[in-house]
Amino acid sequence: MKKYSILLLVLLMTFTSCDDFLTIVPETQLSSATFFKTENDFVQAVNGAYAPLRAYYNGPAWLLGELHSDNTFYMRNVLFGAVENAENLADFSVPVSNGTTPNTNVLGAWRGLYLIIARANQVLAPIDAVNFNQDSKNNVKGQALFLRAFAYFHLVRYFGKVPLHLTPVPGREGAALPLSEEAAVFDQIIKDLTDAIPLLPQKSAQLPGRVTQGAARTLLGDVFIYRKRWADAEQVLAPVVSSGQYSLMSSYAMAFPKNTTNKNNAESVFEIQFREGPDGLQGNFLYQHLPYPLTVAEVRSLFNTSNPQPLDGQGNNIPTPDIIAAYEPGDLRKDASIMFITVSGRPGPNKTTPIIKKFQDNHAQHNNHGVNWPVYRYAEVLLLLAEAQNEQGKTGEALGLLNQVRSRAGLAASTAAGQTQVREAIFKERRVELAFENKRWFDIIRTDRIQEIIVPYGQRIVANPLDYYFPPIPGAVPRNNVFTNLDKFYPYPAAESDLSPFF
Amino acid sequence: MNNHYLSKVKIRLVGFLLFMFCTSLLSFGQAQTVTGVVTSEGEPVPGALVLIKGTQKGTVTDIDGTFSIDATAGNVLVVSFVGYTTKEVPVVGGQTTYNISLSLSTSDLSEVVVVGYGSQIKKEVTGAIQSIGGAQLRDMPVSTIAQKLQGRLAGVQINQTTGQPGRGMQVRIRGQLSVSGGSEPLYVVDGFPITGDINSINPDEIDDISVLKDAASTSLYGSRAANGVVLITTKKGKAGQTNVNLNVFTGFQKVPMRGRLEMMNAEEFAQFKKEYYEDAGQTVPQVFSDPSIYRGQNNDWYDALLQTAPISSYNLTLTSNKERVNTSAVVGVFDQKGVVVNTDFKRFSLRLNTDYQLSDKVNIGVNVAPNYVFDNTPRSDGDRGTGIIFNALHTWPVMPIRDENGELTLFNRFPAETGNIFAYPNWVRSAQELTNETTRLNLLTTSYVEWKPIKNLSFRSTFNVELNNSRFFFSNPSTATSAINVAIPTVASSIRETNNNMSWLNENIATYRNTIGDHNFEMLAGFSNQRFRLDIYRVQSDTYADDRILTTQAAVNINRGGTFNNVQEWSLTSVFSRFTYSYKGKYLFTASARGDGSSRFGSNNRWGIFPSTSVGWVLSDEEFLKGNSTISFAKIRSSYGITGNNNIGNYTQYALVNNTVNVAFGNTLTPGAAVTSLDNPNLGWETTAQMDVGFDLGFLDDRISFGYDYFVKNTTNLLYAVQIPQESGFTNFNDNIGEIKFWGHEFQINAVPTTGAFRWTVNANLSFNRNRVLELADGIDRVYGSFHITQVGKPFAQFYGLKKLGNYANAEDLANSPKIPGRSTVGSIKLEDFNGDGVITFGGDRDDRQIIGNPFPDFTYGITNNFNWKNWDMSIVGSGSHGQDLYMRHLYSLANLDGVFNMVRKAKDRFRSPDNPGEGIFGTTVGGGNVTGIERDWPNSNFVWDASFFTIRNITLGYTFTKLPKAIRSARLYASAQNVLVFTNYWGGQNPEVSMQGNGQGDGGNLSPGVDLGPYPVPRTITFGANINF
Repeated sequence: MKKYSILLLVLLMTFTSCDDFLTIVPETQLSSATFFKTENDFVQAVNGAYAPLRAYYNGPAWLLGELHSDNTFYMRNVLFGAVENAENLADFSVPVSNGTTPNTNVLGAWRGLYLIIARANQVLAPIDAVNFNQDSKNNVKGQALFLRAFAYFHLVRYFGKVPLHLTPVPGREGAALPLSEEAAVFDQIIKDLTDAIPLLPQKSAQLPGRVTQGAARTLLGDVFIYRKRWADAEQVLAPVVSSGQYSLMSSYAMAFPKNTTNKNNAESVFEIQFREGPDGLQGNFLYQHLPYPLTVAEVRSLFNTSNPQPLDGQGNNIPTPDIIAAYEPGDLRKDASIMFITVSGRPGPNKTTPIIKKFQDNHAQHNNHGVNWPVYRYAEVLLLLAEAQNEQGKTGEALGLLNQVRSRAGLAASTAAGQTQVREAIFKERRVELAFENKRWFDIIRTDRIQEIIVPYGQRIVANPLDYYFPPIPGAVPRNNVFTNLDKFYPYPAAESDLSPFF
Repeated sequence: MNNHYLSKVKIRLVGFLLFMFCTSLLSFGQAQTVTGVVTSEGEPVPGALVLIKGTQKGTVTDIDGTFSIDATAGNVLVVSFVGYTTKEVPVVGGQTTYNISLSLSTSDLSEVVVVGYGSQIKKEVTGAIQSIGGAQLRDMPVSTIAQKLQGRLAGVQINQTTGQPGRGMQVRIRGQLSVSGGSEPLYVVDGFPITGDINSINPDEIDDISVLKDAASTSLYGSRAANGVVLITTKKGKAGQTNVNLNVFTGFQKVPMRGRLEMMNAEEFAQFKKEYYEDAGQTVPQVFSDPSIYRGQNNDWYDALLQTAPISSYNLTLTSNKERVNTSAVVGVFDQKGVVVNTDFKRFSLRLNTDYQLSDKVNIGVNVAPNYVFDNTPRSDGDRGTGIIFNALHTWPVMPIRDENGELTLFNRFPAETGNIFAYPNWVRSAQELTNETTRLNLLTTSYVEWKPIKNLSFRSTFNVELNNSRFFFSNPSTATSAINVAIPTVASSIRETNNNMSWLNENIATYRNTIGDHNFEMLAGFSNQRFRLDIYRVQSDTYADDRILTTQAAVNINRGGTFNNVQEWSLTSVFSRFTYSYKGKYLFTASARGDGSSRFGSNNRWGIFPSTSVGWVLSDEEFLKGNSTISFAKIRSSYGITGNNNIGNYTQYALVNNTVNVAFGNTLTPGAAVTSLDNPNLGWETTAQMDVGFDLGFLDDRISFGYDYFVKNTTNLLYAVQIPQESGFTNFNDNIGEIKFWGHEFQINAVPTTGAFRWTVNANLSFNRNRVLELADGIDRVYGSFHITQVGKPFAQFYGLKKLGNYANAEDLANSPKIPGRSTVGSIKLEDFNGDGVITFGGDRDDRQIIGNPFPDFTYGITNNFNWKNWDMSIVGSGSHGQDLYMRHLYSLANLDGVFNMVRKAKDRFRSPDNPGEGIFGTTVGGGNVTGIERDWPNSNFVWDASFFTIRNITLGYTFTKLPKAIRSARLYASAQNVLVFTNYWGGQNPEVSMQGNGQGDGGNLSPGVDLGPYPVPRTITFGANINF
């Protein structure tokens, strides 16, 4: 009987230690229950909120903001059929069904931007309840508010009404929210940025590459201008100019960050940070903005990498004849922005093809570069402020700012006179100054110029396909549904619509 | 302690070796001796065991069937041999010679079947269990156990999805599937549920395999039982016997021409290219203007990768069961080259099983089984750009494999105007120069102490440990690549990964069994703890100065994404109990239950209970059937129970923070973090409730026996990462959702059509498995796979795409039919407007896709024939599967109508013009990718083809020698052919069992079965072997 008691004891011991035995937390990863406790946790978390900007600017941002305009087009390569997602944006034939589209680039933009929002919300929700250095806390909070507003500003311009997530999603419940009115989204953007401005340090006091007070003011200025709140825009932008934190680089070409150098330069207000190498922080947009096919030698001459590879597929973001013609004679920005290369594999006699030059730089490894993407430059701040002033009738002050930008480009002072002419002059200046920086589509929609600009652009393409890089091959012409979707807003992504009961 | 123990075993082993050689040479002649001959139907029976009942004393008959043994009057001789009915003969005073005649046993009902936590007499089994003795599987020249079982088990679908040695076996018991959890059965070796690769175990170590199919048989394995359980028992000595066995075979493997995917040869390809340009009204490039120049100049890139490869196996088995010690030792070497160049598979294995009877009340036993497996496989399998075989298939046959000096070319590229958009390295070099090797060192040990304090009661405590160490090394020198469009020299790279895992299990079981009058019962209760830990270290690096030194420290770059370490752990605590009762051996009842607590389950849902019950009735023991001359045996049985599947990942319940969401600020790498998943404290196991009804019948003294089972299972709470809108910042939420119903019928028949000098036995089985998805998550009625949909109300993972109606025959047809705006032309693929909106669309839930095929068979079947005539024996094993479809995914390249890749020969007969519409399978080439891209990029029924097949798995012919030197007890020579012939109409490749995006090796693959991307071919293997007993 004694033996049985021992057995029973062993049994009991096994079960008393059961809970410990059965609780195993991951050893190589933190769980959310143990995170968000220290200053370092919050700094890391806000850093994490920047991360999705890379993928967004490497792809969807230029696909939806630049290729979807009269500045760039794609280059038809008849051997490739699986490229309609970019084609449909370039030739305005984005398919719509029940207000949704299967276009994967539209989906990519949506998902990338909401990822920024979710990560910002993860920071903002618990931060006030945790005690740490107030300056650091303000800085983190300011950055998170900026990033959330930045993402919503892109979403609201792409889609109009969107779900407005302001707190972390706890589970499956609450993952989908109803669409909020455009005005409500803008109210939140303005509130976030207004809150962020006093929390954020000036550029000189902030680590390079992070959001600054100047960046928050510029973004808010851009938002006010989109909403045609000219006085508010002037009020928020003027301190950026007067802060002394920014200046125009001496030459236009110098305004653009290179692969490793010239990043976050004096003109830079906010730029997306890339870094070449094996750490996954690189971009490859230079490779996407190319005509294909390219031989090894042609690729080497472009980037001088140690391991150039041949490229084939379909080229995108090729400057159109329209943008090439938009530069005034003598504009130094033309040669700094566009270059012409020989594409030996291009069908037909014409092998010379334009590509975007302003981001071009040598780098070490094929398809892996660290060129930053400029989001806001001081030149744009000047043009935004000029626009805000002009719209309030301060034409003279506006012209002064406009001419600062023109002068750097080697151009004489603008001859525009009167509010209307200055308005046109600023609009035109924005096109060439900010070419290929994903501003064109937003400028067209906020000034209601789709009919004025896109419709004739489409007619030109259909009439002269060879000018728009269609190959001289029988049948290789624009499809019969081009320029049929001229909506201001993109349809909602179908894959998200399938999961949400609200759209 | 283990080491100490091991050395003891070694000493004993050496002793045994000496002992056995001596005993086999000595005769047993003594003064008080009885002698005799054991015969059957007039023929001597060599190797029969003659044992004195109630003792360990015994001997074995020699080649003439004679024996001699010391015995006294009153003893009883027990004479037994496999396949014969055991006979008892009392020793009578004064009689010293006994001629004993054994009768052939046609029934195996008295056999003992291994079941979970014990064994049962087959006649009294109430669950659905099928067992196979290791001897039945011994001759097959294959590297995995699952290959040996193909075609032999009812209700178990075993597919060889790739020919890579030692890999790719997919085992599905009763069609069990999960959305994202694993679907492979639980393998239990000598009572120990293993966590490592079952293919590391030398098949020659196996004595018996029991496959448990229904819930009553499996529920004692609780939360791991839902996919079925395979119990493997390793070899032990037979009472009173000492045996040394040498089993050797060697042979070669070759890929038959029959069944290979037919591709265009160089001339046909050049002709296609010529026509392509002519049809488009373009100038034909110079190189294709005269296709006849390529006649006889073909470069078959696929064939160039293949070789005739040797295969050999050597096994030495020693077993001895004498004087309270039962030992067996199996030493094995298996060496297989592959039919794709640079494939190597080697296994060195040892197993020592020892049981000691310390006293009448205490037994202890230890099994130790180390093995070492080395395996190098070229990156053969995969999609275009990753799998060398797919790459080779789609490379232009006009591109030279070898240059004029006979050397392998380095790199092939035609000028851009020929439409060659990708540059190709030489795939033969890729296969030769890329290293992709895994070495595994495994140690499986099981040990127990058993104590029987009183009659009928036993306590058994086990402690089992499994250690696995695997090292993976991939190296890519700058001269080779498995990718397309990569210039040579490329960036040299390497991956090193070490996995160390350890799992231990302690089980404590009390068993009480007794017979009181006509009541037999057994009670079993126990508890156990198991813990598992895996440590992974991985380094991926690239950019090397010298291809000869691809070490980590020589690399310029350490690739951050591919460099990590990781720990995976789980624990499982269980209590279990079983009650078995029978009345007169004809009314049978069993009930069992297991409770499992697991670290994998959410904190609100930590324990699961898995009960089952079964009943049986042996009708043939009733008066009304007793003595029936036709029906010799009849039993009906039924079971019901609940089992679980805990393959849900180790940390799935937690919200995890990824702390490598790094950013660059001003070109400085800065660490970042993000919450990347949502937590679910309610997360639990998948639950399967299964009912089984079956009967077993024997006719004509059990010369014909027949078994039938019907089952129905409902699997609920499936683990699924429910997709949630990504506006949440998350992609999914891990939850238990849905319900899938499975049901099926299984038939088995065993018959002995002839006995006597020519003995013929047949085993055949036939299985029907069906399933239907009854529910998914709230608001979600479908889950997509690669080219598949799993949809409520439909069977699981159906092929999903657009339905091809033909090609647009002419302008009128095009004008009057729904089409794709901007893309459809005359001669292009014509698809069905399934949603009726007038246009053809692809993408989203409301497009024109529909179910276009079923990857699951209507039925599967197998048949095994064994013939014995005098000294000859022969067996033929065949199996088949009927009604399933495969998705020829490789056609997206191999039938790319733009002529950028080599094409299947069928594409010769494509649409050329309304007057020359071709066979209807492939459309027009005119219009470029905008037109042709639909056919290849939009999943459609053109990819889906019937893949029914019947394969003759194995034919073995053996001859047993009779006139032998005394030291040799028996000797048999045999020839064996594996994968002899495949009968199928499937034309997409050599292996109709392929499944390349869902081979069950990882999560998520379940949703995308039956995809063909051109796998490693399955060879025909021919070997010659010898099986010698000393």
